[in-house]
Amino acid sequence: MVIRVILADDHPLTREGFKSYLEGRENIKLVGEASDGESAWELIKEQMPDVALIDIRMPGIDGVTLVRRIRQEGLQVACLMLTSYDAQQYVLASLRAGAKGYILKTASPDELLRAIEIVASQGVYLDKEVAKAVEEPGFSPEGLSPREREVLLLAGRGESSKEIASKLYISERTVQTHLASIYDKLGARNKTEALLLALKYGVVTLEELLE
Amino acid sequence: MILTLLVLIPSIAILIVTGWGVVEHERAMKNVTESYVLDLAQSVASRVDRPRFIHRALMMPPRSLDSLVLDMSMPGWVALVDEDGNLLAASSKAQDVLPQIWQVGVPVGRATLLKGPLGDTYTIAAIPTSQGWYVIAAVAWSQLLGPMVRFSHLWPAAVGLLAIVGMCAVWAFWRWLIMPLLSLEAEVSSLKWGIDLPKPDDPIAVWELRRLRKVLYQLAETAKEREELTQRYVSDLVQVQEEERTKLAREIHDGPLQDVTALLQRILLLKQESWSERAKKYIEIAEESATAAVRELRGLCDTLSPPWLDLGLLQALTELTERLARIYGIKVYLEASEIPDVNEDITLAFFRIVQEAINNAVKHGGAKNVWVRLACEKGYLVLQIEDDGSGFDFEGDIESLRIKGHRGIANMAERMRMVNGQIDIKSSSNRGTIILCKVLLPLSGEKSPGNAFDVGDVGKS
Repeated sequence: MVIRVILADDHPLTREGFKSYLEGRENIKLVGEASDGESAWELIKEQMPDVALIDIRMPGIDGVTLVRRIRQEGLQVACLMLTSYDAQQYVLASLRAGAKGYILKTASPDELLRAIEIVASQGVYLDKEVAKAVEEPGFSPEGLSPREREVLLLAGRGESSKEIASKLYISERTVQTHLASIYDKLGARNKTEALLLALKYGVVTLEELLE
Repeated sequence: MILTLLVLIPSIAILIVTGWGVVEHERAMKNVTESYVLDLAQSVASRVDRPRFIHRALMMPPRSLDSLVLDMSMPGWVALVDEDGNLLAASSKAQDVLPQIWQVGVPVGRATLLKGPLGDTYTIAAIPTSQGWYVIAAVAWSQLLGPMVRFSHLWPAAVGLLAIVGMCAVWAFWRWLIMPLLSLEAEVSSLKWGIDLPKPDDPIAVWELRRLRKVLYQLAETAKEREELTQRYVSDLVQVQEEERTKLAREIHDGPLQDVTALLQRILLLKQESWSERAKKYIEIAEESATAAVRELRGLCDTLSPPWLDLGLLQALTELTERLARIYGIKVYLEASEIPDVNEDITLAFFRIVQEAINNAVKHGGAKNVWVRLACEKGYLVLQIEDDGSGFDFEGDIESLRIKGHRGIANMAERMRMVNGQIDIKSSSNRGTIILCKVLLPLSGEKSPGNAFDVGDVGKS
């Protein structure tokens, strides 16, 4: 099966580069290019690709808004964010908006292809640079308890410890304890990282994050 | 004050002394006239008592007696009456005057003061004779003492008037000069130069004082304008710096960063071809260099003006605190609940303040933990940054810190001033620092422009 891909990036040289990455791959076909958000939106509606490679910063409609619109319109297009930035909040914002993956522009051709394949098959791809907390080989995350999963999801939706505590009828201190345990189990240093790693390891799903 | 008292005290003294003088003088006059009238009456009575007089008085009609007995060259009037009050004899003109002032009940044997019908003062005395008659003697003060009375009354009156005028002058002096001067002095001494203005006019004050006040007002106005100009200059400086940083960051992002990324892409493509070992090594080095360049440029953008500020306040602060925690190896706890969307200016102000505060806490205070709290309270967005560092002795004057070269806190204050917010800093040695910022939230419904990365409405769809 050939994966149909469109590419939206305002910088001609990097767009050229990505085009070269995709050329000559028998399972991937580039069906269109756009240099700004508005034309990317038109292109996506017209082509209905399997995967859309979208730059976060674009003139006109930015990447995150574009992804949100795709999801709101219910288009069956898997969005993979392309960016120069390693800011985890960008990743989180993209994922909350409905993106399936996030890859840095400095990724190698093979990584890009792998990312496209993963998101095309309904998986989640996060650039290793973005969620690189766990670098020791052989690290496998411990399973989270159901309560910990709940706490992590609420934290992922941007709720404060106080709000989580009142929602789960536990004390704020208990929330902090849960969070500390979650960080420890996932090898994360903060909430954002914990959430990204949990997504990466499949501890929580993208859909859970959207709600 | 003292000047007023110097005038006031003599005036009151003069008034008292004059009053006392008038009373004393009056008494002296009374004594003089009383003894005069008594002497007169008694001398006439002793003459009447002589047997020769009695004999003649019985022989002759009473009216012709007067020239013999009662004619006098001395001032005053004398009359002789019997026990029933019938006039027996009188000195010349006494017949005209006495009935006017004569009143029944004049005590016998001592002098009495009476008021005549024309307002003159008379002293009158009745002395009994051995026949049972009475000798009545009277004198008018004006007649006896003449001009002395008038002058002696006029003089204290004039002095008293002078004293009263003096006191009026003192009162006027106090009301129109001293009071306005005192109020002007109080106003000017408590004036925050460059911030406050005195009252432009004081209608009560004298013209010269009003002029003085006007001049002071103009001076204060000039100082205020200058202060505002300085403030505006500082604000402009901060704003221009921020704009420059944003512009530079954007240019780096859209220019060199993309170019080097494109370069890296070509290198990565090259890598896929088959090369000699040597070429492979060169390509590897080129890849490393390009990757390093991308990182550096990204870092540069983050330092200047991170593009992820666009994500909104909470996301930007989350990213910032997580990054700073990682860079410094400290713990930063960000607590925020139900924060509404705020505009770019407030986002930027809070972002820079948190950045500065954490940098200061770590670099100067050696803090290991920082708590950043963001909350909505009574229409205000409140930011609190607390650290467990060593703190510093802060006396509350941000301007003096700026003068000493500690621009960090002065810049924070400036950031808050630019969004019409308040900043409060509490710190003392070994007790950490608490920075409290408060800004009035815009009314609900005003959505921040350009906050494209807002993720708030995702869940609603």
